[in-house]
Amino acid sequence: MNNWQKSDSQIQVKFLTKQEKYAVPDTPFYVPHNVTPAGLNELLNQLLCEGASDSKNKKFQFSFLINDEILHSNLAEYIAENNISSEHDICIEYIEATPAPEPLDCLEHDDWVSAVHMSSEWILSGCYDNSLHIWSGESKHKHLLSCTSHSGPIKGVSWIQMWINENGNSMASFVSVSQDQTALLWEWNIDENVAKPIFVYRGHERSINCVHAKPSESVFVTGGWDCTLKIWLTDFNAINNEEELSAKRHKRDRINAPLTQVPKSTLQGHKEAISTVQWTEDNDIMSASWDHTIKLWDAEYGGIKTEIVGNKSIFNAHYSHLNHLIITCSADRHIRLYDSKSSEGSIVKKIFSSHKEWVQSVRWSTTAEHLFVSGSFDNDLKLWDIRSCNTPLFDLLGHEDKILCCDWSKPELIISGSADRTLRLYSVK
Amino acid sequence: MAPKKRIKLLPKIQEGINEESFQQNSFIKRKRLSLLDKTKSDITKDENLNESTDEVQQTDYIEYKDEFDTSDEEVNIVFLLNIQNDIRNTVGNIPMNWYDDYPHIGYDWEGKQILKPHSEDQLDYFLKRMEDPNFWKTVKDKQTGKYVVLSDEDVEIIHRLESSKIPDITFNEYAPWIDWFTNEVMKMPLRKFPEHKRSFLPSRIEAKKVCKMVHALKMGYLKTKKQKAEERLKKREKKFYLLWKTDDTAEEMRRIHDHIPAPKRHLPGHAESYNPPTEYLFNKKELREWEKQAETPWKRKLHFIPQKYSSLLEVPIYTDFLKERFTRCLDLYLCPRARKMRLTIEPEDLLPKLPSPRDLQPFPSVMSVVYKGHTDMIRCMSIDPIGQYLISGSDDMSVKVWEISTGRCMRTIHVGGIVRSIDWCPNKALSLVTVAADRKLLLINPGVGDTLIVKKTDSILRDASEEAFAVSEKVKAVIQWENSSDEKWEDGIRIIINHFKEIKEVTWHGRGDYFATVMTEGGNRSVVIHQVSTRRSQIPFAKPKGLVQCILFHPVRPFLFVATQKNVRIYDLVKQELFKKLLTFAQWISSMAIHPGYYLIHSGDNLIVGTYDRKILWFDLDLSTKPYKTLRLHRNAVRAVAFHKRYPLFASCSDDRSVIISHGMVYNDLLQNPLIVPLKLHRDHEQYNDFAVLNVVFHPTQPWVFSCGADATIRLYS
Repeated sequence: MNNWQKSDSQIQVKFLTKQEKYAVPDTPFYVPHNVTPAGLNELLNQLLCEGASDSKNKKFQFSFLINDEILHSNLAEYIAENNISSEHDICIEYIEATPAPEPLDCLEHDDWVSAVHMSSEWILSGCYDNSLHIWSGESKHKHLLSCTSHSGPIKGVSWIQMWINENGNSMASFVSVSQDQTALLWEWNIDENVAKPIFVYRGHERSINCVHAKPSESVFVTGGWDCTLKIWLTDFNAINNEEELSAKRHKRDRINAPLTQVPKSTLQGHKEAISTVQWTEDNDIMSASWDHTIKLWDAEYGGIKTEIVGNKSIFNAHYSHLNHLIITCSADRHIRLYDSKSSEGSIVKKIFSSHKEWVQSVRWSTTAEHLFVSGSFDNDLKLWDIRSCNTPLFDLLGHEDKILCCDWSKPELIISGSADRTLRLYSVK
Repeated sequence: MAPKKRIKLLPKIQEGINEESFQQNSFIKRKRLSLLDKTKSDITKDENLNESTDEVQQTDYIEYKDEFDTSDEEVNIVFLLNIQNDIRNTVGNIPMNWYDDYPHIGYDWEGKQILKPHSEDQLDYFLKRMEDPNFWKTVKDKQTGKYVVLSDEDVEIIHRLESSKIPDITFNEYAPWIDWFTNEVMKMPLRKFPEHKRSFLPSRIEAKKVCKMVHALKMGYLKTKKQKAEERLKKREKKFYLLWKTDDTAEEMRRIHDHIPAPKRHLPGHAESYNPPTEYLFNKKELREWEKQAETPWKRKLHFIPQKYSSLLEVPIYTDFLKERFTRCLDLYLCPRARKMRLTIEPEDLLPKLPSPRDLQPFPSVMSVVYKGHTDMIRCMSIDPIGQYLISGSDDMSVKVWEISTGRCMRTIHVGGIVRSIDWCPNKALSLVTVAADRKLLLINPGVGDTLIVKKTDSILRDASEEAFAVSEKVKAVIQWENSSDEKWEDGIRIIINHFKEIKEVTWHGRGDYFATVMTEGGNRSVVIHQVSTRRSQIPFAKPKGLVQCILFHPVRPFLFVATQKNVRIYDLVKQELFKKLLTFAQWISSMAIHPGYYLIHSGDNLIVGTYDRKILWFDLDLSTKPYKTLRLHRNAVRAVAFHKRYPLFASCSDDRSVIISHGMVYNDLLQNPLIVPLKLHRDHEQYNDFAVLNVVFHPTQPWVFSCGADATIRLYS
C-alpha cells in the first residue's frame, strides 16, 4: 500500500463489484495516475489476499469498468479521453475477466465453409462444394458424415431437433439452404450414421441466403435473394401421412427421393436480398436485408412490427435473447448495436470498429449478455464485450482467408468457417 | 337719444338687413294703419301674407321697457299695452329643462300655470328670419319661452360691452380724481402703526430668483438684452460658406491615411564597409571593367569602388556625399505619386465552392473485396440486373462468374478468344450474357440466378431454329449466326455470332432484345444491331462514319449514340436520321456512359465521355452540343466511365492506376445545372505495360463500384 501512495501524481479510486465473493472494503485508494488494468489487478489481488484469512494465493483476473466501459489503456489516458473530473473518487467496478478463448481444433473441408451450426453434441457445416458435414462436438472432433444432395453452394444450416425413433435409434433432423433455391430437411439416424433428405422445400425464386429453425417447434424460416421470407413446416406427422399418400401415388418414384413441400407463408416487404433471418421471441422473426433495413415480423399475421433503418446494407444480424439487442454487420468495417425494444428504433446505440474489412458474421453469446463474436473478411474472428467499443476483448487468429460464418450456439465453443476451407474451434471457459 | 342716430349705427352690426327694413320698422305703426284701408290692387299677395303673420306675432312680443329708455313714443305705447297682462315667471333661477316634460313652463304672479308657447318649426323660423325686421334683436326668454324684442337701449348696452366700454352711457370716465391716499404725510394718517420688520429686510425668495437668473445667464440659457441684440445683428449679416470644404479636408487627411512612403534607400552591404572582405574588393579585371564604364556609369554594378581601411580613423571624407544627398532629394521629389493597389487573393477563394464529400455520402470509399482468379488482364465486366453476380472477361480467354458478396468464383467459361467486351442482358426474364471474344460474339447462359429462368432461356435459345429470314447478302457477308456445338453448350455458350472483324464493344438495349456490336475497323459496317428473338442482324449505316469507338442505346428513347474518334453522333432510330452531333474537342474518345435518370426524369439527358487525352466530358444534351464541363482529373488516358443507376454517382478509371468516383447530381429543375463534385480517388490496381485500370462498373443497387485492371484482379469499393 505504501508504495502506491509514494507516487507523485495520484488518483483516488473506489472499487466496487457486484460479485460478492470478490468484495473488498469500500475505502478509497490512491493509485498512480498511469496505472494500467494489470496494475489495478495486482492491487486488487493484494487486497483480496489481505482480506482472506486462509493464505490461498490464487490469482484472479479482473476487468475494470468505469461508467460501464471497460478500461483498456491506463487510467490517466482514460480520464483525459472522457473528460472525467479527477477531483472526486473514481468508482471502478471490477468483474471477473472473460478468460481468453483457446484454439481447440481445425476441421479441414474440401471447399469454402459457408455455414455452420452447432447443436449440443454435433457440429453441422455447409460447404461451397454443395456438401454438408457433421462433426462430433466432443473433445475429438471426428468427421461423422458428409452428405451431398444440393446442386448449389450451401448458404445456411440449422439443427432442428433430436428424438428417438420407434426402433430405438436416436435421430436428429436439420435443415440446409442453398444457392440452388431449395431448402432440404434431413433426417439423420445417429446410431446407424445415415442421413437422408426427407423433404425438399421449393418456393424461393432466387438463391436462399439464410435459414433459422425455431427452437423446439416444427417450423423454420428462410430468406433469400428474391426479397421474400418464407416460413416452412417440419411437421413429421404430416410428413408421414403424406408419405403414405405420395407412396401410393408415385409408386414408380424412387423411395429415397425427397418430397416437395411448399411454403406455409411468405412475408414480403424487403426490397433487396435478405441476408439474415432469426426467430426472436414467441412468434416474431427478425430479418436483415441489403436494403439497409432490419424488420421485425409477426410470423402469425405476417405483418411488420418494427423496422430499423440503417444506412448500409446489412450482411448479418443477430438478436440476443438475454438483452434483446441486435448486433448487425454491414457493408463497412463497423458492427452496430441496435435496440429492438426502443421506440426510437433506428438509432444506433453503439458502433464497434476494429475490423479492417467487411464483417460477414456476428453471433451473440448465449450465456453472457455482454459478449459476442464477429468474423470478418480480414481473416480475424474477434470476441467483443459491448462495454468496450473500440477494442475487442480478444482477436481469435488462425484463419488464412475470409471468414464467412461463425457460431456460438454452445456456450463453451466458438466456431468459425472460412474461405481457407477450414472450420476453427475455440474453447471458451 | 334720437332714433335717427340709432338707425345710423345699426346697419354696421346687423348684416343682411338693409336700411329699408329699418325704415319699415320705424313705420310699423303707419303700415298697420294702412292695413285697415288697404286695397287689393295696391298690395301684392306676397306682401299681404307677410303683413298678416307680422300682425299675429306682434301680440306675442313682450317689449321690456328699459328704465333709461323713455323717450321713444311708440315703444311706450307697447309697454303700456303689455303691462296689463304681465306674464313674468315666478319659478326663479332654476334650470328650465326641469319643465321639459310638462305642458307648462312655470307660474305667473297669480300662481297660474304659464303654458308653453306653440313651438316653432324650422320653416316658421326661416320665414321669421326673412320677413321680421326685428328678428335680429329678438331673443327667446327661457323662463317664459317667449320671444322678446330688445329695445334700442339694450342693443346699445350690448354694443358698449362688446367694445369694452363702460355700459352706462352716462358714466363720466374723465371726472376729476379724488386722491384719497396721498404720499404726503398727513397729520392724521389713515393708518398709524409702525412698519413691519420684514419690510426692511431683503426678500429671500427674490434673492433665490435672482440667483437662478444669474446661473441661467452664466450657463447661457438666459441671454441679456445686449447679447440678444448682438445675435440679431449677426443673423442679419451676410454669411459665407466654403463650398469645397469636404475636398479640403480630404486633402488634409490624404497625407495621413494615404501616406506614400518615400522610396527606400538600399542598406549598405559588405562592399560599403570600410573593411570589406577581400572578395568584395575589386581585382584588376573588375577595376578595368569599372573604368571602361566611365561613360555609362548607370551600367555599373556598384557605383563606387570598395575600399579597405585598417581602421575607421583612416576613412577619409566621403567625397560623393553632396551628390548623393542631391540624388536622394531628386528621388523624393520624383517619387511616383500613384498609389499601387495590391490585391490580396487567397488561392482558396479561386476554387469553386463545392459541397464537402462528407455531405454527399454514400459513395464507394474503401476497397472491400478483391476477386482473384484470372491469369491475365481483365478488360471488361458486367453485373446481373439484381446485383448478385458479376461476370468478367479477360485476356486469358476465359469468362468468370463471381458471387459479389463473397468474392467466390462460381464458374469459369473458356471462350477461346480475348474478351474485349461483355454485357449482361438487362431483361430480368432472361439469363443471358453477350461476350465479345475476338471475332466471335457469344451468347452465354451463365447458369446462375433463378433456375427457372436459366432453363427457360435455354429452351428459348434452343428452340429458335435457324429459319431463313430474309437476310440480305450484304449482312450475311458480315454476320453469321451459328448454334453452338454440344460441347460448347455444356460450357454455357448458346449462340455464336461470327463477325468479319474484331469486335470492340457490345452493348444491350434497355429492353433486352436488341444489342449492338462495334467493329472499329469495319468501315461502313462497323456497327451491327442484332435481335435475339428473331436472330436477325442489321447494319444501320450505309456510309462509314469514321473509327467507331463505342456505341450506346438511349435508356428510354429510340436513340443510338455512336462515338467515333472525335465526336459523338446521336441517331434517331425511328426516323433513321442524325438527331444531334456532340462536339467533344477531344483527340480520341475511349468510352461513354449515359445518365440513367432518376425516376424516369432526365433519362438520357446527360452523357459522360472519357477520352484518351485524359479528359472526362460531361454533356448536358438539353443545354448544348458542347461539353457542359470538362474534368481533367486523370493523369493519363481515361479508359472507362460509368454512371450509377440510383445514386448520383459516376466513376472513371484511367491508365494512371486511379479510379475516381465523383458526385454528379442532376436536378429536377431545368434551370439548375448539374452539380459535379469529385469525391474519391482509389489507386489500388497495379500497372502492367502501361495498362492499369481497364473498366469500371457500378453495382445496380448498392453504392459500390467495381474496377478491373491489368493486374488480373477485380476490386470492389464500398
